[in-house]
Amino acid sequence: MSFSPGISVPIGGIERELGKLWEESGDSKTRASLINLAIYNEKPGSLERNTEIIGGIAGEHAMRAILIQADPKAAGSSAEAWITMHCYLRDSKGGSVCSEQISFKLAGDAARSLQSVVFSHLDSDLPLALWWQADFRPPVDGKLWRWVDRLLFDSRHWKNPSDQFDLIRRIAGLAEARTVLCDLNWARSLPVRQALAGIFDTPGTIPELRVIRELRMQHAPQHRTTALLLVGWLADRLGWKLSEPGQNPRFQDAQGGSVSVTLQESDGASVSSIGIASENAAFGLSRDAASDLYVTTAKGTSIPPSSRMVRAPREETREILLAELARGGRHPLYTRAVKAVQALWD
Amino acid sequence: MSALTVNPLREGIANRLTPESCTLVIFGATGDLTHRKLIPALYNLAAEGALPPAVTIIGFARRKKTSEQFRKELEEATRKFSRTPLDEELWASFASSIHYHQSPFDETEGYRTLTDEMEKADRERGTGGNRLYYLAVAPDQFPVILGHLRKSGLNTASPGSWARVIVEKPFGKDLASAQKLNGLVSEVFPERDTYRIDHYLGKETAQNIMVMRFANSIFESIWDSNHIAHVQITAAEPLGVEGRAGYYDTSGAMRDMVQNHLLQLLTLTAMEPPTSLSAEAIRDEKVKVLRSLRPLRGDQVFNQVVRAQYTAGLISGQPVPGYREAEGVPKDSVTETYVALQVNIDNWRWAGVPFFIRTAKRMPKGGTEIAVTFKSVPRVLFNQSGEGLDENVLVIRIQPDEGVSLRMSAKMPGSSLRIEPVKMDFHYGTSFGKATPEAYERLLLDAMSGDATLFARRDEVEEAWAFVDGIEEAWKTRSDDLAFHTAGSWGPAEAADLAARHGVTWRRM
Repeated sequence: MSFSPGISVPIGGIERELGKLWEESGDSKTRASLINLAIYNEKPGSLERNTEIIGGIAGEHAMRAILIQADPKAAGSSAEAWITMHCYLRDSKGGSVCSEQISFKLAGDAARSLQSVVFSHLDSDLPLALWWQADFRPPVDGKLWRWVDRLLFDSRHWKNPSDQFDLIRRIAGLAEARTVLCDLNWARSLPVRQALAGIFDTPGTIPELRVIRELRMQHAPQHRTTALLLVGWLADRLGWKLSEPGQNPRFQDAQGGSVSVTLQESDGASVSSIGIASENAAFGLSRDAASDLYVTTAKGTSIPPSSRMVRAPREETREILLAELARGGRHPLYTRAVKAVQALWD
Repeated sequence: MSALTVNPLREGIANRLTPESCTLVIFGATGDLTHRKLIPALYNLAAEGALPPAVTIIGFARRKKTSEQFRKELEEATRKFSRTPLDEELWASFASSIHYHQSPFDETEGYRTLTDEMEKADRERGTGGNRLYYLAVAPDQFPVILGHLRKSGLNTASPGSWARVIVEKPFGKDLASAQKLNGLVSEVFPERDTYRIDHYLGKETAQNIMVMRFANSIFESIWDSNHIAHVQITAAEPLGVEGRAGYYDTSGAMRDMVQNHLLQLLTLTAMEPPTSLSAEAIRDEKVKVLRSLRPLRGDQVFNQVVRAQYTAGLISGQPVPGYREAEGVPKDSVTETYVALQVNIDNWRWAGVPFFIRTAKRMPKGGTEIAVTFKSVPRVLFNQSGEGLDENVLVIRIQPDEGVSLRMSAKMPGSSLRIEPVKMDFHYGTSFGKATPEAYERLLLDAMSGDATLFARRDEVEEAWAFVDGIEEAWKTRSDDLAFHTAGSWGPAEAADLAARHGVTWRRM
């Protein structure tokens, strides 16, 4: 199945053509929008792929979507635009709710002037979430980023995480920007963090968090950053300091105890297994391949053996993006988690 | 790092208080509420990882059955009533925390063995000595259950733990019985550990009333008698008594709906901004509204309150019998199935603003909403005749199709000046596709977290009864005011007259 970005329209007439589209659709369609979601990508074919993604989420998170396929290295300047709507049946009377989508293919100078070409088509007064599906490159352009309320990216795809984290920190630190950093890799780890936190809701288990000695984690190939973010989160929450960097690093806890961390690649979910050994207990979290459940376990000298299951959402882009859009707010723990394992990114 | 007493991994995971492990004992575990609402809500919470893993559920009821049979029944009920599909593996994991405890409510031995079971859960599952008792039984069972909880020492928790009780409505049938009931509960549990459920307060839109009012500067500045002409609060349903005749005929719409749900909505609409978002600060402001309600007594009741009963008619094109023809309803019943009243709030903000409250069964359509009608613009420019220009109306839809709409005037395109009303509409379902949790999910988590914000406080309940009692007392003196309306109609002519006396017409929902 191929996904078309819609009807070709002149860039100067986008709003007019959208208006016509609404007029033609009659009263049965309702326009809805919570945000502007712009997606920037530099790979050919990205408009079609991102149209599919928008089609998958617009029914649950109404928006004006602005898709950009850019080739900033091209010579000259060219710009093309398309419009379409994503509509979903709302009631049994045939009424539907629709999100608008505007797509741009930009090359050369046009691709380097996003704010003038693209951001003049924002739905005013609604926040702008920009999903950057490319590498961040210096210099950091304050004129671009000050428009952006939420900057979405996925650190899982970064080849050079250290440099990329440095650049996004500079973007977030721009005086004129109020950009919230939203790493989809962090959103991907949320269900794991929730399930792991749930193990320690039982009073008897909480003291064991102070005396953890070993952390083992199995992650899918290309999900080392996901696993490292989880390690960073635990380190930040439990007051661990990195003492020995490396593939399998060591931390020192707040009492001076040593915590060894082992990260292993394994096929399956992004993070398929976590084992935590404390001085008096062992805790586990696992997700079998193709399973939509996490199984958590706890057992210790004064902790009765227990096991439970909780839902594990599908790790598809649609689910992760929806979860991130639904959560909102800032992510202070993310910044701290990144900092806690800063020396491990390369 | 200081000694860990709270789970540090919970910070930032969810923007709410963390529920604590506990044993939840449901009295009346074989009843409808447990099957339709409580267990499906707990299942969904467990499936989402929101329920602490150690939470143990003990169903306490009189009927003989094993835990296995009980779980099987609950599984079937959850399959039918859960808002998410039942997953076999998840259910098995969740169901292992459910146990059945068979005992009459009035046998001491049953409470002794309950103690044993709870202590076992503390040891084996880590429930930490925390107890949450849910009284899902008729109020006439409260004294015996509460008495035995006290006698067995189950109402007090060991140091560092807690014991709480959740009480389902009705909280009495008048002020005297509510006071008696509250007195009974307070002898056993302190007010801070008493959670009176009004499930309307757990609804997302009810919670949104405060957000809308106090998180948007445009509303609060015009939320007073200078700008608002009147307010209508309506709860309509197409259903009849549906097998609840025994209860309903002794209750009626006033006690069943107005005293609790609708007066709660009124307080949220009319309250002053609380000093904080704490449970006490919010409930302090709500109770002030109830205290400001102008009492209705004697003839005032017959001027300001209309009661009615539905007669046979059509609902969705299907014939339905009248109320008195329903099974279990006396042929000469004067119980109201429809009530409309006009109330006044005697405080600075609302002086002179009539509030209209209406609730009924067998209406053409179901729905609950709050409609705030603003005053007309001055009779100059576009409103010289004072006619034909509709007022602005802000409607907060509580259910179904939760959302907010605002009616305003706009010029029709064309060379002539024609002004028509247009509506700006916000639908939760349209903008937020995510399914909203059931009210009971939120309320159960809140009770486990010790957050009483969405539960009614004793003085709220009693103030509401004090207001309603005045009306009920007047009704006892005569019954010739009882009006009738056809099922499927929007109510009796008397209700239209009541509104018309204030220059108001009831909203067409």
